[in-house]
Amino acid sequence: MEKHWLVRPKTIRLLWIVMLGVLAVTVLLQLGIEIHGEFHIDETFGFGAWYGLGTCAVMVIGAKILGAVIKRKDTYYD
Amino acid sequence: MIAQFPALQVVIPLLGAPLCIILRRGALPWLIALLVSWAALAMAATLLSQVADGEIISYALGGWLAPLGIEYRIDTLNAFMLLLVAGTSSAVLPFAYKSVAKEIPQDRHYLFYSGFLLMLTGLLGMAITGDAFNVFVFIEISSLSSYAMIAMGRDRRALSAAFTYLVMGTVGATFFLIGVGLIYAVTGTLNMADLAERLPPLYQSRTVLAAFAFISVGILLKLALFPLHLWLPNAYTYAPSVVTAFLAATATKVAIYLLLRFGYTVFGAEFVFNIVPASEVLLTLALAGVIIASFVAIFQSDVKRLLAYSSVAQIGYIILGISYANVTGLTASIVHIFNHAVTKGALFLVMGCVAYAAGACRLESFAGLGKRMPLTMAAFVIAGLSLIGVPLTAGFISKWYLVLGAMEKGWWPVAAVILATSLLAAVYVWRVVEIAYFRDAPADAPPLSDPPLALLVPTWVLTGACVYFGIETSLSLGFAEQAAIQLMGGG
Amino acid sequence: MISGLPPGLILIAGAVAIPFVGPTIRKGLVLALPVLTLALIWGTGIDAGTVWSAPFMGYAVSPVRYAPTGMLFATVFSIMAFGGALFALRSARPSEMAAAFLYAGSAIGVVFAGDLITLFVFWEIMAIGSTMVVWNGSSDAARRAGLRYALIHFFGGIVLMIGLIGHIEATGSITFDVMQADAWPRWLILAGFLINAGAWPLSSWIPDAYPEASPAGMVFLSAFTTKTAVFVLLVGFPGTQALIYVGLFMIFYGIIYALLENDMRRILAYSIVNQVGFMVVGIGIGTEMALNGAAAHAFAHIIYKGLLLMSAGSVLYMTGKRKCSDLGGLFQSMPITATCGIIGALAISAFPLTSGFISKSMINQSAADQHMMVVWLLLTAASAGVFLHAGIKFPWFVFFQKDSGLRPPDPPWNMRAAMIFFAALCLLIGVFPQPLYALLPAPVAFVPYTGAHVVGQLQLLLFSGLAFFLLLPLMKRTLTVSLDVDWLYRRAAPAVIAWIARDLRELSDGVLGGTRAQVGSIIDSMAHYHGPAGLLARTLPTGRTVFWVLVILAAFLVFNFS
Repeated sequence: MEKHWLVRPKTIRLLWIVMLGVLAVTVLLQLGIEIHGEFHIDETFGFGAWYGLGTCAVMVIGAKILGAVIKRKDTYYD
Repeated sequence: MIAQFPALQVVIPLLGAPLCIILRRGALPWLIALLVSWAALAMAATLLSQVADGEIISYALGGWLAPLGIEYRIDTLNAFMLLLVAGTSSAVLPFAYKSVAKEIPQDRHYLFYSGFLLMLTGLLGMAITGDAFNVFVFIEISSLSSYAMIAMGRDRRALSAAFTYLVMGTVGATFFLIGVGLIYAVTGTLNMADLAERLPPLYQSRTVLAAFAFISVGILLKLALFPLHLWLPNAYTYAPSVVTAFLAATATKVAIYLLLRFGYTVFGAEFVFNIVPASEVLLTLALAGVIIASFVAIFQSDVKRLLAYSSVAQIGYIILGISYANVTGLTASIVHIFNHAVTKGALFLVMGCVAYAAGACRLESFAGLGKRMPLTMAAFVIAGLSLIGVPLTAGFISKWYLVLGAMEKGWWPVAAVILATSLLAAVYVWRVVEIAYFRDAPADAPPLSDPPLALLVPTWVLTGACVYFGIETSLSLGFAEQAAIQLMGGG
Repeated sequence: MISGLPPGLILIAGAVAIPFVGPTIRKGLVLALPVLTLALIWGTGIDAGTVWSAPFMGYAVSPVRYAPTGMLFATVFSIMAFGGALFALRSARPSEMAAAFLYAGSAIGVVFAGDLITLFVFWEIMAIGSTMVVWNGSSDAARRAGLRYALIHFFGGIVLMIGLIGHIEATGSITFDVMQADAWPRWLILAGFLINAGAWPLSSWIPDAYPEASPAGMVFLSAFTTKTAVFVLLVGFPGTQALIYVGLFMIFYGIIYALLENDMRRILAYSIVNQVGFMVVGIGIGTEMALNGAAAHAFAHIIYKGLLLMSAGSVLYMTGKRKCSDLGGLFQSMPITATCGIIGALAISAFPLTSGFISKSMINQSAADQHMMVVWLLLTAASAGVFLHAGIKFPWFVFFQKDSGLRPPDPPWNMRAAMIFFAALCLLIGVFPQPLYALLPAPVAFVPYTGAHVVGQLQLLLFSGLAFFLLLPLMKRTLTVSLDVDWLYRRAAPAVIAWIARDLRELSDGVLGGTRAQVGSIIDSMAHYHGPAGLLARTLPTGRTVFWVLVILAAFLVFNFS
């Protein structure tokens, strides 16, 4: 059985390229649109981009570390 | 005619009893008992409506005026208790026809109904009379007949239960009589209103103090306050279904009425709460009773017995309200007397339905009843919610006022205990519900279905009352509050 | 006459009728009654004020009070009841449908309550209805989880009731209005509300009980309990600063636990805590815009969370599997379920053009307007985290990732219709926010669609997406559960009690020379004292009673003569 077109390696590679392109566009859009922040930090260039990437990494890694302590086999309470 | 209602209230049931023995054929005794009870209910309702505005009816029995003759004296609390007793018997007697037919041999039916009417007479008399010795007479009428009624239970253990009750009940009645004798010795009167006037100057008298101790211990034994409750569980467990429902709803409640009457009217709140440490004693025993009896109930394996221990705990709540010695607490107690009577009446009638269909009320015999007897178990769930005190049931009203009264005193730990023990009630009700709804009946179980309408209708009348009095509170709460204010001397 | 009817009563009456009618009438009834409720909310011409009062327990209670916030919540509750009923139309048993309607009706009862007693009455009925919904999951696990759920809510009810009675006793007023958390009765009321909101430490009941309900059951459960709690906080405690911290904790608690979770519906359950956290923060900030934002977010959240759970429920219904590690690749055979799930995921992540965007940005903006930089930064990080744990994680692991080989079709028509209806609502509200803004308690000056907002949000979300795929190796699904506060009452407490019981036994063995046959656990040892033959339950000896009679008599006499 042939794989669904969406999950063929070729499509996935294409999706990655498109996605990276979109990411670049959203950051570059900021050149044309001025962002008025309430604080200084949110007026830095590409704030949403670097802040989103950074905090997500912190959260995933934080969860991973916490998980090492609190994860149990899913039959734990049975 | 209406002027004679106070006397007829007691005399009609009293005459009904021998009539049952004379006309002993077929369903006649049942019919007599039913009609007598309904007549008593009508009279109680009339009397209650007459005292609704705070008036007090005084009736001289046989035309002999108080304090020499026996006075029947009806204020809001009396009338309320009369309504409760007559109302309960009127609700359970329709149930009795089929239930008694199943549980008691045919040739003893006339004795059963005759005894039932005597029990009714005694309880109504206790609630109506204004004479201390007359109270003792009616205690004995109701007690002796109830020993006989309990002994009619199917289980052989009913005999020993009745015997135990007889011994303890006699101890209680005797203590009561000793106490009455003592106050008669110092005051020379037995009329309650008269006593209330003559006792205050004698408050420091040791005789009066001893009399109070004897009377209250005697009554506490009759009302089964922990740890004087030991007669109650077996009596409730082994008595015929109808008797259990009627006794649980009324007998201990009338005894509580006596406690209120002697405490507030005869001896006076000043004496009871300021000279004698009644508040502390009652508070301690009530809290111990509520907590321990609730735990004990959780571990029972017979549902009737479970409910009996629950009654001991509920009596603790009622006494707790009295120990606050404020109007809110007293209102809570009186309204809980009523609400608990309705709730326990409903629950014990459910037990009657289960006993009728399944033959026993052991916990394991409830397996699968949720599906097999849906209407019966639905009634159990609703009445059980009332026992726990869930909103829109009668039990909630009582719980609210009990907590409110505790808050007025600043006794918030007591408020926490009241609510925490309602969690225990949830646990013991849950044990039954869980088995009925979540456990399947064993494969070899005989087919069961809801009992006939003759049993279901009375059960659902009381179950409906659990909800009705949880929403429409002007009757129960209104009269309870008025009675509380009258007792506290404000009316 | 009809105009004074409490709107919640329609669904409650339906709950009573449902078990007694045939299947055809039942289907008509469950779809018609929510519509009728909507008509009663909006069609009577009343838009403010207490409609009538009645005596109850010696107080004058007001069961019907029209106010903008209450009407907003009642509206979305009715929509939810309709959507949930449509989704459950064919799969739910009558008992489950009845429980769900009792639950929904009492939730509407709470938001129309004009006084604290009415509020408490409906609050407790809601607990009963929702417990019954959990039990209709019909498994042993559902029975146990339902019991834990009931006990927590029973406990919450006790806390609330002590607080309410203390408050009423002290102030003499039963009106439900703004309160200051300044004395213990109000603290207890606040705590009671927060328990139902799923605030830590009593939050684990949400991921514990909700996923044990049936596919349709959890759709209902996700909507009412926590959102009525948001409503009462909104009306009773706006601007209470402590709520900001409580809410922030809920937000990150939800994200972290959802990231660790493997069960798809439990992921969504943690995400409820997370989303309610946003609303609680908004209530804590307490400005007009923040409160508007909290209300709007509750409205939007109920719909997209319902949609997400319908999508997850459809997967569970068609495959019988609930763990991410067993699922994957379902987009191929369940295109409608996958599409609707993705729309819900976008809405919860607050993508522009979805309902989440126009509501959540109000809360974030109000934090910025108040110059609360730390709060704003945390909320912004949390917005990224929402996309991470719910926006991508849920659709990715269920519908894509590795191919599980499962090829179930889309669910029956009623489930598809319910999903499409809710998906359309998510988009409609996102594109045309004005009708929702018009329902909010205060006038709205906020403009969601500015270039800066949209670009900032797109950057944040898309780069979170990038982070997700870059860090995917760290998020491998494992067959695990995560310990939570419920460990205390599911494991620690029983163990401690058993340990104490053993210790006591050893002690008594020592004291009594080990002669007594001992019981095996605390239950047994308690049964020993309390059981049918126990010391405290023994009924035969008349001598014992006489002993107590003498003790009490002596107590009276000693007190008297001393």
